[in-house]
Amino acid sequence: MKKRILGLLAGASMLMPLSAFAAPVEITLWHMEQPPHRVARIQEIIDAFNTAHPDIVVKQEPQNWGEVYAKAPAALSAGAGPDMLFAIPDFTPILKNIGALTSVADFVAELDKKHDFVDSTVQSYSYDGGVWAVPLYNMAMSLWYRKSVLDGAGLKVPETWADWKAAAEKLSVDGTYGIGVPANKQLYTDQTIYSVMVNGGATEIYNEDGTLRFNNPQTVAALDYYAQLQKLSPPDSTSWTWGEAEACFVSKSCGMIMQFSVISSYDTQGGGDPADLGVAPIPHADGEKDHNTIAYANAVMLLSKDEAKRKASEEFIRYLLEPETYGKFLNMEPGLFMPVTADGAKAESFWGDPMATKYKAQIEQIIANSQNGRLFGFTSGRTFPSIAAISAQNVIAETLQSIVVGGKSAADAVAGGQDRMVEVSK
Amino acid sequence: MKRSLPATLLLGLSGLFLLLLIGMPFWWVVTGSFKLPQEIIARVPTMVPHSFTLQHFAKLLSGSDYPVYMINSLLVAGISTAITLVLSVPAAYAFFRLAFPGREALYRIILLAYAFPSIVVLIPLFGMFARIGLIDTLAALVIINVTFALPFSIWMLRSFFASVPKEIEEAALMDGAPPTVILRRIMIPLIAPGIASVGIFAFISAWTEYVFASVLILSDAKRTVPVGFSGIIGQYQIDWGLLLSGASLAVLPVVILFALVGRWFVSGLTEGAVK
Amino acid sequence: MQKSRSLAFAFVAPALLVLAAILGWPLVSAVLLSLQDVRTIGSQGQWVGFTNYSTVISNPMFWTSVGMSIVWVVANAALQTVLALMAALTLNQNFPGVKIARTWIILTWIVPTVVVVIIWRWLFSTSGGMINPLMMQTGIVSRPVGFFSTPWTAMATLIFINSWRWFPFIALMMLAGLTRIPADLYEAARIDGANGWKRFTRITWPLLAPTLGVLTVVGTLLSFNVFDIIWLLTAGGPAGGTRTLPVMIYETAFKGYKLSEAATISVLATMLLMAFALVATRWLAKEGDSR
Repeated sequence: MKKRILGLLAGASMLMPLSAFAAPVEITLWHMEQPPHRVARIQEIIDAFNTAHPDIVVKQEPQNWGEVYAKAPAALSAGAGPDMLFAIPDFTPILKNIGALTSVADFVAELDKKHDFVDSTVQSYSYDGGVWAVPLYNMAMSLWYRKSVLDGAGLKVPETWADWKAAAEKLSVDGTYGIGVPANKQLYTDQTIYSVMVNGGATEIYNEDGTLRFNNPQTVAALDYYAQLQKLSPPDSTSWTWGEAEACFVSKSCGMIMQFSVISSYDTQGGGDPADLGVAPIPHADGEKDHNTIAYANAVMLLSKDEAKRKASEEFIRYLLEPETYGKFLNMEPGLFMPVTADGAKAESFWGDPMATKYKAQIEQIIANSQNGRLFGFTSGRTFPSIAAISAQNVIAETLQSIVVGGKSAADAVAGGQDRMVEVSK
Repeated sequence: MKRSLPATLLLGLSGLFLLLLIGMPFWWVVTGSFKLPQEIIARVPTMVPHSFTLQHFAKLLSGSDYPVYMINSLLVAGISTAITLVLSVPAAYAFFRLAFPGREALYRIILLAYAFPSIVVLIPLFGMFARIGLIDTLAALVIINVTFALPFSIWMLRSFFASVPKEIEEAALMDGAPPTVILRRIMIPLIAPGIASVGIFAFISAWTEYVFASVLILSDAKRTVPVGFSGIIGQYQIDWGLLLSGASLAVLPVVILFALVGRWFVSGLTEGAVK
Repeated sequence: MQKSRSLAFAFVAPALLVLAAILGWPLVSAVLLSLQDVRTIGSQGQWVGFTNYSTVISNPMFWTSVGMSIVWVVANAALQTVLALMAALTLNQNFPGVKIARTWIILTWIVPTVVVVIIWRWLFSTSGGMINPLMMQTGIVSRPVGFFSTPWTAMATLIFINSWRWFPFIALMMLAGLTRIPADLYEAARIDGANGWKRFTRITWPLLAPTLGVLTVVGTLLSFNVFDIIWLLTAGGPAGGTRTLPVMIYETAFKGYKLSEAATISVLATMLLMAFALVATRWLAKEGDSR
């Protein structure tokens, strides 16, 4: 008995200095990629990282988009926040405002030298003399259709707004809807409207001095056009989020939809014939030449004030962006997340995935579309703190609703939308 | 006691209406959770499933910590119920029987606590709990649930006490028993069904609470069922099969619980202390 | 006497302390917050006096929300009372399976609200939902209906969903009231030759009225505070058609980053409800005394 205690003591005394010396740094990651299979994939990567770095322990805590707007600022101010947060550009001004962010310009420069970031992704986080987050994965809106359906109606892939509307009208037969565009007061609607706006020359919502220029003829024309498309959509599209649009397309109730990617649900629920799934850039206004779209460069924000935790977080991000791991990370949702680095776009770990192989043509098209990606409020360096409130309160979508639900003219609605933007910016 | 034909017809109709109103959604959800994805989103839905699969349940259980959420929810709801009863039974008895200054005013204030938009306290409470280290603990949820269940529980228990025939209590008083003994030996056993129904009320309130649990809990390992469930509602895709199986599983424990104690709830409410 | 008084306090104090700490203090800090100009949680604010109050009161959106909350509360009370009364009267009869029905009618209430939301969002959707095809098959409509597509239908649908969840609970409380009505009263009425409707209007209704009064007050307070069902289904839309006060408070605080303004709306909403509760409890107490 005595011997055992002695042995234990000896063991403990041997362990103690060792563990004190190398007490691993614990860092917490919050992200909003909550579907089970995404969480599982991120965990695999974390496990591999933790094994390779015995001095660091990364832990993930998936959060919900609906809750995180309330939770993150509250938790950070209470000192219970994460060390890393995967989020979208809209989120940065909020966190910057409460002093939770410091510039990561040097770190981004280091990674850029090694992996070569897609410029537009870094731009979304570069303003006020700093870079506020490290881009990680990109999403760009595209137009999805079934080749057999377009062929069956004798249609070509629409290039211009006129083509597009004609196609949507022609496809609206026999209980199906030619197109499904949302009109909910929700982020998805902001995204699809802006995708139409950038294709009609209404890219900027701010002037250079930070005053709003949302109320302009291009915006009016874009919203007017969008409202016409919405008339051809299912009646419940006023409450749609991404999932309903996808379900509508996959179940063949909608002829076309705008979406980041429908690949994984198309594959599991929609028949899964890759040859029939079509993806194209968003059509542009009749006077324009180029196709544009909305793109979300998701990024990681470093929130720890502790030097050791910061270093550990940086180490984890370096690991994520290595081509060997990066593709595995992006493929947590095949076809949804696009690489933000040049070497990532070529990585075997990305293209080697069975789904990426199966839908290679579509994924290449999405990457091509994402090259012209913009994000409202984060264009041409014209980023101002009020974009956080404008986007969180979905003022663009609300403007559309006052047309399609409230019955206003596009011009009145856009004027009202600008007033509302001014008001929420106060 | 015979019913007339129109009365029987009316009874049958309203019974059928209620059955459909309450039963149909559950039938659709539970059967839907066993359908293949293609059948769930088919343009012409099926009343009786044509396909059978367990893939949604398999995905749910392998990909998320649903069992952990269950245990958390049971813990929070169970402890909240116990504390609610321990606090509310004596309080209700005091409000019913014992004389003390400010009794009526205090009772009314407790009822006013109902009038509190719970969303109002969310922000200040977060700060308060952060200062005392209660963020991301199940204890925080217990405190919240007890607080919001108390006013209703006290109010209901008081009316149960009131339904006990006065003579029983007076007889005990004549024997010189102190209030604590009267409460423990006579009143509590008499209104046991009432206490059971208040307990079930507290349990269900805690079991279904979402807003506070979603904000006060930060880590996955401490989530309750409603918050865990909201987590599987994807942002960019809706996997109806997964959601329906999640919904079925979220309902299952309370259904089992109710199968065991449900009749107590109803008899407690309807009979109270009247024996 | 002295002893019983201290005992009474010992009985009441723990419950009161919990309520004071968890509800009382946050209310005070909400009032303090409403007098500052804090934007996000964690940032500092200046004292601005009653500026927020004048901003809120002069904001037409606030009054629209007040109106919506009133519509919400009244319609919920009405629908729940009708459904619950019907259910309670049915369950008060004797028929095969009534015991099972009395227990399981509560099924909708024991389901977490988040699950209720998903169930109905799915059932009402046009892709895969059950309601639209059913309505088309039975010929009620010829094209799918967007239940959440106009302010009024969205409000009506939400009221239906919320009532669906709560009416069985109210029904059981009513049933409790019904079972306390002595059976010999009905017997006597029958002997006097009163028909079913007469028995209902002369006996059931007057004797049930006090219970109904209490339930209406409690139900009003409960449904005023309903937030999660509305937020998760419509987030106050479309076009602001379902933005009740709790939704506006949440949106202002967490989407608009105007914490102090949200606190101001909260304080005003609380005052509104308190006034209602005060009047109602006084009225109930009077009713109780006269019984």
